[in-house]
Amino acid sequence: MQDTKHIVQPNRNRNILLTIFATVLVAVALLILTSLGSVKLGSALALFAIWGIATVSLNLVNGTLGILSLGHHGFMLIGGYTTALLILSDDKREKILASGRSSMTPFTVGLSIDNFFNAIGLTAFTTDETLWLRFLVAILLGGLMASVVGLIVGIPSLRLRGDYLAIVTFGFGEIIRLTASTRIFSPITNGALGFSGVPTEFGKSVWWTFAFLGITIYVISKLKYSSFGRAMEGIREDEIASEAMGVNLAYHKVLGFVVSSFFAGIAGGLWVSWLGGARLDSFLFTLTFFFLVALSVGGTGSITGVLLGTALVVFVRQYGDPLEQSYLITTWILAIGVILLLTALAIYIFRTIRRSRPKIIPAFYLFLIAGVATVVLALLAPSLGIMQGEFRGFGMRAIFLSILLIIIMVFRPDGMVGRAEFNWAWVFRERLDQPTEEERKQDAWLSNPELNRPGGAANTSDVEED
Amino acid sequence: MAMLEISNLNKSFGGLQAMTDVSFNVNEGEIISVIGPNGAGKTTLFNLITGVYTPDSGDVRFQGQSLVGKKPSQIVDMGIARTFQNLRLFTNLSIMDNILIPQHHKLKSNWLQAILRTPAYKKEEEEMRKFALEKLSFFGPRLMSFRLYQPVLVLSYANRRRSEIARAMATGAKLLLLDEPSAGMNPKETIEMTKIIKRMRDEGGYTILLVEHKMNLVGEISDRVVVLDYGKKLAEGDYKDVVNNPEVIEAYLGKKATDDDKAKKDGGLE
Ligand SMILES: Nc1ncnc2c1ncn2[C@@H]1O[C@H](COP(=O)(O)OP(=O)(O)OP(=O)(O)O)[C@@H](O)[C@H]1O
Ligand SMILES: [Mg+2]
Repeated sequence: MQDTKHIVQPNRNRNILLTIFATVLVAVALLILTSLGSVKLGSALALFAIWGIATVSLNLVNGTLGILSLGHHGFMLIGGYTTALLILSDDKREKILASGRSSMTPFTVGLSIDNFFNAIGLTAFTTDETLWLRFLVAILLGGLMASVVGLIVGIPSLRLRGDYLAIVTFGFGEIIRLTASTRIFSPITNGALGFSGVPTEFGKSVWWTFAFLGITIYVISKLKYSSFGRAMEGIREDEIASEAMGVNLAYHKVLGFVVSSFFAGIAGGLWVSWLGGARLDSFLFTLTFFFLVALSVGGTGSITGVLLGTALVVFVRQYGDPLEQSYLITTWILAIGVILLLTALAIYIFRTIRRSRPKIIPAFYLFLIAGVATVVLALLAPSLGIMQGEFRGFGMRAIFLSILLIIIMVFRPDGMVGRAEFNWAWVFRERLDQPTEEERKQDAWLSNPELNRPGGAANTSDVEED
Repeated sequence: MAMLEISNLNKSFGGLQAMTDVSFNVNEGEIISVIGPNGAGKTTLFNLITGVYTPDSGDVRFQGQSLVGKKPSQIVDMGIARTFQNLRLFTNLSIMDNILIPQHHKLKSNWLQAILRTPAYKKEEEEMRKFALEKLSFFGPRLMSFRLYQPVLVLSYANRRRSEIARAMATGAKLLLLDEPSAGMNPKETIEMTKIIKRMRDEGGYTILLVEHKMNLVGEISDRVVVLDYGKKLAEGDYKDVVNNPEVIEAYLGKKATDDDKAKKDGGLE
């Protein structure tokens, strides 16, 4: 009975080796992609890593703790602005001081890692070659600032439940952005002007961004699979039961929230570097909306799923410009017709795979007829002389993402992978939750009608109740 | 000094007086059953002890310390754990996780040590798993081996009841409050559960306060029985005395039945 397989993770050393090997493989793949690929690809990959940090950390709150947080962009703003202020180059600072429109004071303009190192005598770290070190310090301070604000916001608000908490987190996200633009804070944030000229060599570098993504995944997955993460999942499943089992609700919610805010701050720091500047409208709620789409599409609660979802969202954002260009109106209509036909096809395929009866439902005919009609209309329109001209698909990317979200929600409500997580045991099909041959015999004993009443343990007769 | 002292407990929900001046004691090593018709206030009593509700007046003392005003999680720290009448397992998590979560409050390592997987944390994790297997072994092979890794939602109803009891034991509590531990079980499983509860006291060293409707189970294992009706304590004492108490029979079967000699001949409530 005291089988060590239930106490120690089986094949632990093999798994560690495989993980190291896979990490090296990813690094080599990145090396090849960045040296062969275009600038555009490098920038898309870096954006994937930055948003990946944001979604994986948001998932700790939304997926593991089961709290709907809508204020992630606010914490990113704090990390981003802190990083930008601390890392800005001296000539940019002089420009801000010289500008009449800025409300920054000589003191706040002087807040930089540069000046700090000079003050403590570490002038060796203020050269151009050591910018990376200053950026590292700045971004870590940005993360810390975000987590401090997370703590201050979290302690009072995490007592609320469900919808109320979601509204409060949304409110805080917006409040952070709005207060940053007020007169009180504009000496630090430079108000509506923001900061431009943030060095881009970190945010655009796949090495920097993927290194931070790796650290984020490492820390958050270690947390998730620790006793603390289990307690958080318990809170997600049933707050009352977790509390009755000794879990301190407030402590664990705040812990999750603070760790999540820290990484949001890091993502914010890399995000301003990727953008090359910090502006208030780079931290709109739409950012959190994109993250939520990534979570829902990939699978809320699963780090693997969330990264898949992020890849999809980033792909649409970076490579979706053809969607927003100007085409003939008839082309758009043709596209709609094709989509309708594809939907009909998808319904047919799904019902065949799932062996649903009846195989052909009215919706199938509906989509088929509508699709054919639309295609015919698009093809005949030029000769009929109707619907001429061009149409520019502004915002088509967001519409495309929304349609994608709807499709996923209909066919896979839990996202692409649900709560499942990639791990080596899954690759090798080592399933601990399936009985071995020996255990199957034991189970046969358990469900044997001779030894157990029909229905066995599954018998849920309530007859003698009440 | 009794292990658990309940004195003059009162609780009302709006106009409904759900608990009126209830007092009784539980001594260490006892199995006490609380019985009473539906809506008598048995679950409310459990909720008052475990801090889900705060009493309007009266006191609950555990090993001399008052529990009034404490949070449910603090009460678990002190050594009292419960099961729920309507089952509140963590349904999407595995049985193993369900039995590990209640041990979390005893963890000495902090969250940073847990993330870094320090040797001290690893040792604690290993110990928690051993402890989990030890508690699950009360139920024989039913929750063992591959079942450990199955999510609770695939378990049978009876196995869920068992898991809930194992989960309460895993908190490390000394006093267990079991709310209808055999509800939804067939007669054979009920007999098995009766034996398990006895073993929990004799081998596990637990003190047990339980709510049950099945009189054969109550009669078999209770050291004392407390009867509640409309939030009042109707009787307390030996099972035989309690079930033959006319007031108790009246509460269960109504006024008419008490006049009926047959009810008494059949052994009261059995
Ligand atoms: N939170 C609450 N708000 C209002 N009324 C409540 C609440 N909790 C319990 N009650 C009422 O208190 C009374 C006692 O309920 P309780 O659940 O304790 O009964 P019980 O003895 O456990 O019954 P059963 O045998 O059906 O489990 C009932 O009338 C119930 O409706
Ligand atoms: Mg009840």
